[in-house]
Amino acid sequence: MKNLKVGRFGSVVLTLLIVYAIIKWLIPAVSRQITGLPFPLTVPGTLVFIYMLLTIVALFMYVTFSDESIAEFKAPVTRFLRGEYGILPRNAVLVIVPLLVGWQVYDTMAPQLELPASLRIQHPSSNFPGEFETLENPLANPSPAEVAAFIQQASSGQPALIPQLMPDMEAWLSENPDLPWLAAIATAPVKRFLDELESGNVDNANARTALLEKRLFEGRALYAMNCRPCHGDSAGGDGPIADGLKLRPIDFTDIGTIETVVEGYTFWRVSTGGQALPLEATPWDSGMPEWQLNLTEKERWMIILAEYDLAEKTPRIPESH
Amino acid sequence: MKKTRFMAIILCIFLLPPAMAADRPSKPMPAETPELIEQGHEIYTRRCSFCHGLLGDGNGPAADYMDPRPRDFTLGTFKFRTTQSGELPINEDLFRTVSRGLSGTAMQSFDRDMIKNGLTEDQRWAVIAYIKTFAMEFADPDFDPYQQIVPFPTERAPYNEDTIARGKIIFERAKCWECHGKLGRGDGLKAFDKTDDWGFPIRIRNVTHPWKIKAGIEVEDIYMRFSTGINGTPMPSFVEALTEEERWDLANFIKSLQHKLTGHQVLDVRSIDGDVPGDPDDPRWAEASPMDIRLTGQATAAPRWQNASIEMVTLKAVFNSTEIAFLIEWDDPFKDVVHKAEMEFDPAAITPVGAFNSYVQANDMIPRQLETFRDSIALQFPVKPVDGTRKPHFLRGSGSQPVHLWVWNADLDAQDMPAVTEAIARGWKQPPKLQTAEQQQITSTAAWDQGRWRVVMKRPLVTEDKIDVQFVPGKFIPMAINAWDGSNGEHRLIMSVSSWYYLTLEAPTPPAPFIYAGLAILFTGLFGVRLTRKAQMKPEQASAPDRESEFT
Repeated sequence: MKNLKVGRFGSVVLTLLIVYAIIKWLIPAVSRQITGLPFPLTVPGTLVFIYMLLTIVALFMYVTFSDESIAEFKAPVTRFLRGEYGILPRNAVLVIVPLLVGWQVYDTMAPQLELPASLRIQHPSSNFPGEFETLENPLANPSPAEVAAFIQQASSGQPALIPQLMPDMEAWLSENPDLPWLAAIATAPVKRFLDELESGNVDNANARTALLEKRLFEGRALYAMNCRPCHGDSAGGDGPIADGLKLRPIDFTDIGTIETVVEGYTFWRVSTGGQALPLEATPWDSGMPEWQLNLTEKERWMIILAEYDLAEKTPRIPESH
Repeated sequence: MKKTRFMAIILCIFLLPPAMAADRPSKPMPAETPELIEQGHEIYTRRCSFCHGLLGDGNGPAADYMDPRPRDFTLGTFKFRTTQSGELPINEDLFRTVSRGLSGTAMQSFDRDMIKNGLTEDQRWAVIAYIKTFAMEFADPDFDPYQQIVPFPTERAPYNEDTIARGKIIFERAKCWECHGKLGRGDGLKAFDKTDDWGFPIRIRNVTHPWKIKAGIEVEDIYMRFSTGINGTPMPSFVEALTEEERWDLANFIKSLQHKLTGHQVLDVRSIDGDVPGDPDDPRWAEASPMDIRLTGQATAAPRWQNASIEMVTLKAVFNSTEIAFLIEWDDPFKDVVHKAEMEFDPAAITPVGAFNSYVQANDMIPRQLETFRDSIALQFPVKPVDGTRKPHFLRGSGSQPVHLWVWNADLDAQDMPAVTEAIARGWKQPPKLQTAEQQQITSTAAWDQGRWRVVMKRPLVTEDKIDVQFVPGKFIPMAINAWDGSNGEHRLIMSVSSWYYLTLEAPTPPAPFIYAGLAILFTGLFGVRLTRKAQMKPEQASAPDRESEFT
């Protein structure tokens, strides 16, 4: 620094400016590159204060480590105050600095229009009923009897589907009269199962996977009809009616949402909705419906099965297991 | 050496452009092989079929509830293209729509760069290959869309006052206003009862609300819309009627109409001298600061509604020593001033557990037509003063946390009757309860012009009534809005809602900040003078201070 001839005072001022610039502009700019989000992450005000305070403490030590150093630091200040750099700049500083201080004091003390701070706990547990903790999705693990029944249904001409899917399925069947109804679900597990069914050599594990695939298909249809308007086509919390809600619908693809809770918790949230949240989770802002008023228990579990699958997440395992 | 390398890395990070979503493919569409189509079929089944249907006919299980309906792929009619009116889209047009989605509709982005579980570029090409199998035209070389591309102008005039002014003249000359309205609010003379090729009603776009503009809000996007037309709708192409330069100017003008949301959440209510303005045309409203409030379809309780038409309300308010007045403005292309209660929807069939669906269908369940239901707006306040941030639920409160509703009705206003009814709501399960005649203290004046309602509501700041909201300066008062567009079929819970916002009446600044600021100035000033004196006495001429150069 010395060879740049800014002197001790100049280097202190420069350091303060550089540190401030890093905190204020460089960190948010870099954060934008790292997160890939369309907005920068600004450093919170209290953190700015702490960083600047640490910098000042460090600079104070740097300046006061010897008497010569203090003298070198003070020299330009003294010269300035004597008016050696001009009387007018000195007088201007002597007037402007007190005014700035006064303005700061007024600004911090005057009443301001600021929202009452609202802290929100996302996964409150204070009123989470214990019996939900170990609930398992009854649709996630089909029993051998269910698999056997499914093989029967698949061979019959009568689609075994939720009523919501039937109009579209019937239209499909009338266009594809020679195909089994299950072929409408044109995914790899279903195709493999149908091939085996045709050859008369059904592997039960493959049949089970195909049954799960059918349940996911039903769950996704119910999700598209009930949840999609807010939570979005891809469970990203970006549905067409999400923008008007200040407390945005949850993005299930985000880390720290549905994968951090047990399935029973998700079932409780879906069933009882926003108004059953405890106070720490600001129930008054939540648009989440109380779905037990409109959806059957089975429909809710179908949706939960499909929701985890769509978001590419798995639920947390209950601790008692 | 190390230092320079570190600086170089920092500089690189700083200079890189922010991560861009890929709505343009990095390579052309791969060959449409049976394998690619089969891969696309699987993706389509899992991700697209619930809206677009197993047959690609736009009849999936979710389709009946949404407006606009999902695209029917079997006709080969696509709205958003870069090809001449009536032609097929090129592959890159389909790629853009799948990648970006269509703003304001149920079609969201499927780009994996935008949505964590979205589709990769290869997956998007596969699903496009499958979608193209639904319409025979794609296989016909006579319909090759690549022969029909509409070019961008070679000279693109900048977006500035001149081009906007030129575009405005073209807007008038090309008669865009006949459908879109003079101010672009979709309220033109020919706007109602337009239908698309499938016979479904369509509404003319309000081009001032950017979040509803489906295929992009930039000048380039807008230019393409009237250069290609929107197939299947009454929106024509102006490629013959206007030159490239004229269309570019027009796009600049349309861009300039897009509203910028105010963004804040607290309405700043200032005190004024004299009477509060009672008329929406009072010039004093110009001085009040506005707050935009976003609204959305009411989907918290059955009957649910995902096709709300009122998506933004702009609010202003002023007060004097006795009264408060609100100016509430919102876009609504049609003035609906009759209400036929017998036409109201009975939700009994769709609300029980296990009913087919608890949403109201877009077209078949409720009449979305003129002269049926009234336009209406309601301000909602908590009845009890709030404790911290705790509030009633934004949808009509609850039994223990009631809310106070000020409901303005266009039909009553049109009959010169008192148009605002005050009511108390205790949750959405029962309708709000009207207050008694002597508790009704709100007066209103309303005007509808050029596709916008402007309503003034006035009330004393403080009332005798214990279950009314009371306006005390300096307090944060929560406030929410319910809104109904009659010709969109809206009434009762089939409506738009907002979350809670706040308003606060300006309180005079107490004397303390002035006193402390004055003291701070005094002490810092004295300290500065003292430092100066000390500096002047310093070492070399330590003896007597040089009085002449002293600060005076």
